[in-house]
Amino acid sequence: MNSIFANPEKSIAAKLIIATGLLIVVFSFLFWYATLKKQEQDIMSIAVKYGDSFVNFAKESTHNSMLSLDKTQTQRILENLSTPEGVQRVKIFDHKGNVEFSSDQEEVGNEVDINSMSCRGCHTDPVTGTLSPSPKKWSKYKDKKGSTSLKIVSQIYNDVSCSSASCHVHPEEQKILGFVETDLSLALLDEALFKQGLALTAYVIIFVIAVSLFLGIINYKIVTNPVHKLSDGMKQVAGGDLDHPVQIDSIDEIGVLASTFNSMIKDLKAAAGQKARWTQTLEEEVAKKTEEIKRTQTGLIQTEKLASLGRMAAGVAHEINNPLTGVVTFAHLMRQRCKPGSDDAEDLDVIIEQAERCAKIIKNLLTFARATPSEKGKIHINNVITKTMTLVKNQEKFHNVKFHMDLADANLVTDGDGTQFQQICLNMFLNAADAMNLRGDITVKTHQVEEKDKPFVETIFTDTGSGIKEEDLPKLFEPFFTTKPVDKGTGLGLSITHGIVKHLGGSIRVKSTLGQGTSFFVRLPLIKQEI
Amino acid sequence: MKKVLVIDDEPIVRLSSKRTLAPEGYDVTLADSGREGIEILERETFDVILLDLKMPDMSGIDVLKVIMEKWPGTKVIIVTGYSTVDTAVESLRLGAYNHIEKPFTPNSLLAAVKEVFDKKD
Ligand SMILES: Nc1ncnc2c1ncn2[C@@H]1O[C@H](COP(=O)(O)OP(=O)(O)O)[C@@H](O)[C@H]1O
Ligand SMILES: [Mg+2]
Repeated sequence: MNSIFANPEKSIAAKLIIATGLLIVVFSFLFWYATLKKQEQDIMSIAVKYGDSFVNFAKESTHNSMLSLDKTQTQRILENLSTPEGVQRVKIFDHKGNVEFSSDQEEVGNEVDINSMSCRGCHTDPVTGTLSPSPKKWSKYKDKKGSTSLKIVSQIYNDVSCSSASCHVHPEEQKILGFVETDLSLALLDEALFKQGLALTAYVIIFVIAVSLFLGIINYKIVTNPVHKLSDGMKQVAGGDLDHPVQIDSIDEIGVLASTFNSMIKDLKAAAGQKARWTQTLEEEVAKKTEEIKRTQTGLIQTEKLASLGRMAAGVAHEINNPLTGVVTFAHLMRQRCKPGSDDAEDLDVIIEQAERCAKIIKNLLTFARATPSEKGKIHINNVITKTMTLVKNQEKFHNVKFHMDLADANLVTDGDGTQFQQICLNMFLNAADAMNLRGDITVKTHQVEEKDKPFVETIFTDTGSGIKEEDLPKLFEPFFTTKPVDKGTGLGLSITHGIVKHLGGSIRVKSTLGQGTSFFVRLPLIKQEI
Repeated sequence: MKKVLVIDDEPIVRLSSKRTLAPEGYDVTLADSGREGIEILERETFDVILLDLKMPDMSGIDVLKVIMEKWPGTKVIIVTGYSTVDTAVESLRLGAYNHIEKPFTPNSLLAAVKEVFDKKD
């Protein structure tokens, strides 16, 4: 609690305590002062009342001796009256201020001071006798010992017994015969008042201290402590710790603030979690994209590899054509010179046959390597497929193959050279026939697909052949990859197909189940479709 | 005498052509480059010219252009290793009479050459 008063301008609690404390002190002081005054007043009015009774008693006591004009008796009564403790003096003076009797004998014969309260209590001007509108019959003063004294003055009226008395001292017209004045000591009351004041002061001080303490504790409990907890909590949150809600169970404003703060922490935590999840998703997304890029890159490298292989193959093929011309020519020439049916003739036939095979391989290689399409044009996918199918159907190789056409109704068109797509179809049909041992079904389906928001025409070639072994799949599109016997496969068909598809801006995929069949998916960019 | 000029940088192709055509009664002259072929053409005229497209210093297309400019109407048969439609169309457009693919057989070569004379007659 000390700390909050070190810098009061920085502490709500200190401000509150100081403000309420000040208020309490001021009000307590006012209360204390008012109470003291009131007590004094009450006591005074009681004192005055008793004083009045005493004065009346004095008047009564002296009435007879006065009537009988017994001055000694009157003097004696006054002396007797002043014997009790507290009665300081009793005197009687006439309207002119001459002291006629007094418990203090020395005073007798003196004149009452015209400016004293004894005269001025009733007369604003004692000389002319002007009466005050609010006469005052008593006054309070400090005596020589310093204690409070009460002076009471009372008129002695000219009642019937006086005016009709045998002495005839006072005429009937005289209303007031004189005054009884008494001085009463209030020392005892002073003491009582002082003691009471002391007690009151003590009570007030204790009250102030107790209330201040109580307020301080309350303040500390309901303001300082929770506010500290809140600010600590906020510091923690600022430091990034979202796991410690503020423990304030009250339902007052600070409690509400705390619960709002806690729900804010909860939201923050949720947001942080969300952020973490997003980061995670983002990372996953990045990883996915990276993987995609890697795959594309691998694909590109693969394509690049195929292309450079193609260029190399083309160069080699071209060079081989020349010596091959020699081989073919001279074999033929020799063959012509041989006797038909001779061993030499048969041997030369083998040479010629093999040389022609070489020529065929080279031709394939050159087709594969041909980078640019010979003609720019439009490929009408369905037309080319049907045409190619009719072309091969009549060949012996396809006599036991059944074709199923599942072609799109629309006329799907892509950019390119029709013969190139024909070559693709041809390769697909030849491979399918081989895979099915020349017996089975080939299904060709065409339809439109979307890839990355771009339209493509997809042609699916499905056969009921042997299928492709898992380990062969990655090598499928490489030039010279073949599983066929030496005299049957060149391993160029699919690489040519791949090259053409790539060139046309498309893609080729394969799906195969061993023992059941294979599907090739050829996608080419769709430029238009005519219904 | 039916005169044939073979322009090819490959000795084996020149030899093959000569050995195929000579026995059939053609007078075969050989040139191992486009430049030499044109030099020969400056002195003599030929009924048929066999022209290779892929040669080192002067390409067959360039030689064809010169021939067609200087001696229009000359029958030139293009002999090429890669008979793409492109080059075939290009050479035909430039005035070549025909084209055959390498490797050729004696029969295909003879047929192509013979066609020129058959048309002529
Ligand atoms: N439809 C198919 N069914 C099964 N295997 C196939 C099919 N198409 C291609 N293949 C496999 O791919 C290899 C390469 O095919 P390709 O490039 O056309 O060369 P080739 O047909 O000369 O072998 C084939 O040898 C074969 O093993
Ligand atoms: Mg094949």
